Amino acid sequence: MKVALLELRRRPWRFAPAVIALVLLTGLLLILGGLLDGLYNGFTGALRAQPGALLSYAADAKLSVVRSRIDAATTAQVERVPGVEQVGGFGTVLLGATVPGQTTEASVALFGYQRAPRGVPAPPEKTGQVYADTSLKAYGVKAGDTLLLGPKRDPVSVVGWVSDTDFLLQGGLWGTIDTWREVLGSARPDQVLAPGTYQVLTVSTAAGANPARVAAAIDVATGGKTQTVTRSFAVDSLPGITQQRSTFNAIIDTTFFVAALVVALFFILLTIERVGMYAVFKAVGASSGQLFGQVVLQAVVIAVVSFVLGALLALAVGSVIPPQVPLQFSTGRAIEVAVGLVIMSTLGSAVSLRRVVRIDPATAIS
Amino acid sequence: MFLASREIRRAPVRFGLLAGAVGLLIFLVFFQQTLLSSLLNSFTGALQNQSGTVLVYSSEARNNLEASVLSPEIAAKVAAVPGVGQVGPLGEATMTLLAKGQQIDVAVIGAEAGKPGQPTKLIGGRLATVPGEGVASSEAKSFAIGDTVTTAAGGSPVTIVGLTGQSQFNVQPTLFVTFDSFTTLRKAANPDATMVWPSAVAVIPSSGVSPKALATWINAAVPQVTALARSDAVANAPGVSSTQGSFALLLALAVVVVALVTGFFFLILTVQKTAALTLLRAVGAPASYLVRGLLQQVVLVLGVALLVAVGLLVLATAVANTGLPLAIDPRALVISTVVVVGLSLLGVAFSVWRVRRIDPFHAVGRPGLGGIE
Repeated sequence: MKVALLELRRRPWRFAPAVIALVLLTGLLLILGGLLDGLYNGFTGALRAQPGALLSYAADAKLSVVRSRIDAATTAQVERVPGVEQVGGFGTVLLGATVPGQTTEASVALFGYQRAPRGVPAPPEKTGQVYADTSLKAYGVKAGDTLLLGPKRDPVSVVGWVSDTDFLLQGGLWGTIDTWREVLGSARPDQVLAPGTYQVLTVSTAAGANPARVAAAIDVATGGKTQTVTRSFAVDSLPGITQQRSTFNAIIDTTFFVAALVVALFFILLTIERVGMYAVFKAVGASSGQLFGQVVLQAVVIAVVSFVLGALLALAVGSVIPPQVPLQFSTGRAIEVAVGLVIMSTLGSAVSLRRVVRIDPATAIS
Repeated sequence: MFLASREIRRAPVRFGLLAGAVGLLIFLVFFQQTLLSSLLNSFTGALQNQSGTVLVYSSEARNNLEASVLSPEIAAKVAAVPGVGQVGPLGEATMTLLAKGQQIDVAVIGAEAGKPGQPTKLIGGRLATVPGEGVASSEAKSFAIGDTVTTAAGGSPVTIVGLTGQSQFNVQPTLFVTFDSFTTLRKAANPDATMVWPSAVAVIPSSGVSPKALATWINAAVPQVTALARSDAVANAPGVSSTQGSFALLLALAVVVVALVTGFFFLILTVQKTAALTLLRAVGAPASYLVRGLLQQVVLVLGVALLVAVGLLVLATAVANTGLPLAIDPRALVISTVVVVGLSLLGVAFSVWRVRRIDPFHAVGRPGLGGIE
């Protein structure tokens, strides 16, 4: 083992090609993971924050918030279902917002809500007041600003901040039902909804009630007018979420595979070059296991060093990326990448096992 | 040359496996390339293949047709800009429609009959001329000529009178109807709707005016809108650049892997053969001869790999069930081939360098040849 570490210390440049490749791959893995997390949170924050275990959509909306409409009569039917404890309506409209002093419009999702989502205070006192998601700071939004929404430039003023409440990558704005309804009617006259009609209902179930059974009971009680699903199902049903996750995971898996490939090819090359040296080691009593252990140890050290340098590279890239890009680094993702890299490097180095075992000590004297 | 080809003939499994592995990787590049062009076509085909050469959105829509709404007053201001030839409203909305008894999400596009915004890739039937008629995208296979689709509740029937190719929007089945039909469908989906405004205005410039110039004039004359030439509207549509970016990353990764695999493989071969190559140099073989042999092997391996990749691509596009109409783009394929071959040759540069620096004198140091090390 000492020899392996000594070689790493005395001849570090010998390992440079593998380290450079792995540093780049680590940076790529961390940035891809950060983008995936940022995109997921930016897409789903508003739904993940909703109170209650269930969400009720109009059955023909196919779980699209903006296409769903649930009238007052249907809401009353939902409220009467056994196992339902609390019901509240909400709605959203996706718009462009003019920010004071900025030339670039911000993309916003204005929500009107009855029941406060996680981390969002009770609805503001006045119509026209909103809590803004902190992601909108990237567009230059400040507390006290008046934002002008939609083609008619309807004004709303920012009275506070909330976080992780974005929807479909548009910055969350949270106001009263009246604020939402007024802006909706002005900016999207074809989407306007009658008083008492909401897009989606949040449903909390009574203690001990089975959410799946309550959901089924709601849809029966409304005569099939609603499609009630768990919050997590609703989140996963947002357009593109599953595809986005599978695409990014495919890229990440491929990158891990490439890392293993790079390490494997590198150590095959290294082993070929060291055949003579390994033969001498074997001739003086070293076992194949000991020699292979050295290869694995070097692969692990290379992976760890590459991860550290790659993480620094990813942080450097992250610091120069525009704040509007949904890049979110997390400790969990970093640990996942570090562990994955060490495993793939170990597996990659294991390809050299056969060559190490086949080395004949007799070649040391031939 | 003789030695290079003879070595391949003597070790067909080794070189065959490499060609197969590289072929698979190149196939990945080709397939991703095909997937990308098909995906982009499904995202924006409806914009690309409609008759308006300039599209005018509300400025707050940020180039997104689905997020755009234009009031009749603003549409009238656009129509009055000098250089505008023909102009027509263009409505777009995703709706749940009932087709063949199934509820499906459909991108419905409404344009006035005879005005800009009509689909241009008709592959069967005719354009919709009166309310209640529609032209459907053929790719989704959800519609056939003569079919009737309705709202989810069963109202506002639309009869399919034509089919288009390469005209999907947002990777959804797409239905082109008259603007009156569009209004009817919108109101059926939301009876509370007070009015239905167009999402955008489609424009054909007057004779002699280029679309880009007209777009500039409209932007200058009407500050509430963003006018884009059709090609710019397609390039700036939401999702297009992020999709291109994601795929570019994937493609770059795959190409680098091909170059790495090829480079490392030939480097390993070169290291293994160093003794033999030293002997060849000692008996008079010039370095250029050995390098030519190496490059010949690389080109042969890549050639076979490309054949494997193209064969797999043809097979995959025929049988893959991606939900997208896959079509091979020969231009993209040629570009990918040039990049892959170029980078692979770069990948073997280190092997070439090692071959060139072989010193024939080392042959006499080999104990097996009677030398003293």
